Amino acid sequence: MRASVHQVTQTFSTIFKGMMMTLKIAMQPKCTLEYPDVKKSLPERTRGRLFNVIEDCIGCLLCAKACPTDCIRIDIVKREKDEPTPRTSVESGEKPIRFWIPQFDIDFNLCCWCGLCTDPCPTHCLTMTKEYEFSAFKKEDLVYHFAKDSYPIQKKTPPPTN
Amino acid sequence: MSALKTEELIINMGPQHPSTHGVLRLEVTTDGEVISFVRTHIGYLHRCFEKHAENVDYMGVMPFVDRMDYVASMYNDFIYAMAVEKLMEIQVPERAQYIRVIMGELQRIASHLLAVGTYGLDVGTFTPFMWCFRDREKILDIFEMVCGARLLYNYMYIGGVSKDLTIGMIEKIKEFCDYLGPKIDELDTVLTYNQIFIDRTANVGVIPLDTAVQYALTGPNLRGSGKKWDLRKDETYSIYDRFEFDVPVGTGVQGSVGDCWDRYWVRVQEMRESLKIIKQAVNSIPEGIFRADLPRVLKPPVGEVYVRGEAPRGELGFYIISDGSPKPFRVKGRSPCFSAVSVLSEIIPGNPMADAVAILGSIDIVLGEVDR
Repeated sequence: MRASVHQVTQTFSTIFKGMMMTLKIAMQPKCTLEYPDVKKSLPERTRGRLFNVIEDCIGCLLCAKACPTDCIRIDIVKREKDEPTPRTSVESGEKPIRFWIPQFDIDFNLCCWCGLCTDPCPTHCLTMTKEYEFSAFKKEDLVYHFAKDSYPIQKKTPPPTN
Repeated sequence: MSALKTEELIINMGPQHPSTHGVLRLEVTTDGEVISFVRTHIGYLHRCFEKHAENVDYMGVMPFVDRMDYVASMYNDFIYAMAVEKLMEIQVPERAQYIRVIMGELQRIASHLLAVGTYGLDVGTFTPFMWCFRDREKILDIFEMVCGARLLYNYMYIGGVSKDLTIGMIEKIKEFCDYLGPKIDELDTVLTYNQIFIDRTANVGVIPLDTAVQYALTGPNLRGSGKKWDLRKDETYSIYDRFEFDVPVGTGVQGSVGDCWDRYWVRVQEMRESLKIIKQAVNSIPEGIFRADLPRVLKPPVGEVYVRGEAPRGELGFYIISDGSPKPFRVKGRSPCFSAVSVLSEIIPGNPMADAVAILGSIDIVLGEVDR
């Protein structure tokens, strides 16, 4: 009898304490954001969609090798000796670009946003941007093509599509 | 008609059941309101982690390790990185060790906040869940600033960490430590010592110590049963031997040793202990490099290694066999949740149906780690 009375009083007193605490917290300003209307500013290191500055890319394939899900597909063709060798921009070290890069595709269906590809890039041309809202209706729309070069004539046939 | 059994009813709990914390299916045989038999079905989240790991290089395994225990991925990375470092005999820089411990303990707090909050949700209170998520958000913000991701961090690289702490991050972490302490006290007021919560969890789902040891339970589940066993203390790794902290153990204050309340309470206390470690670590973090100088292609010598550590859910271990090539020959993960799931069929029978959810929530399983 005594124990049950104690339990009942204990129940009501702890509920009262909890409710007072809840009331106190409810008075505080709210900490949520109305997402689509209000957007949070993202920190500098946010790992969003990949972007490649193709002018600075030297076609070293290190990113494709580092990718654990094989979402980066690069095709390179060696430049001939008599062809002029362009160089990357000053910020990325003016490295010689010895390859044509006719294909540089990143498949965001497969990308797992681990950031391992940006780490070994010698010219820092492959970076992760703050973009995160890029859903698409078709899977093909999530394959981003960065390459600007076309295949040199008669040197190599392009790979078959699909 | 007399041959027809009418006493027992088989109910499927899950796989799409909110209180199973993922995709776990419990085949429950009930006799009236009381459960007489439980069979667990796992494998709904199987993603071939071990087979994947054989086909990527040592660093490429890291994103897959992230996805094992997806609410504590920082700690999974920590232990996997330690395993590869032991295999290759790499010396990790001092600053990187400190950053790892700080991030690991923050992750432990975040993981326990989630466990405690959802446990409250399981037994029928919604407010603490929201409060825990509000505080967990602050930890995720810290992680986002440091490594760029909010859930699957991939922050610990082999030989250190991927990026140094940002400027002002130490002050932010100190600020967070001062913020969280009173919040845990608030949680105590509203949930831990609430009489309804105590009545709901005390003396429910008791795991005696010998059962816990037989089923190889580790982490808060084992400590809730009264065994003082913490790998951070008993088999110290990284730099945990430099910090002062206690190992909370269930004592059966509200009911008997090893009940749901004890396991819950151990988690709440562990958050306080983690705060102690973080405070000590941020005060003594040295300057220096954050990553050891390593070749681009990691080729460990032929051999095998097993490294274990105290993840938020218990003992997480990685067994790696190397054949000298850049890809591991075999990676095996020892997950604490797998053992925790197996104990369910031992402790749930005999309890009413409503307590099954309370017991399931109290052992705090993550199905990503059970199935891997």
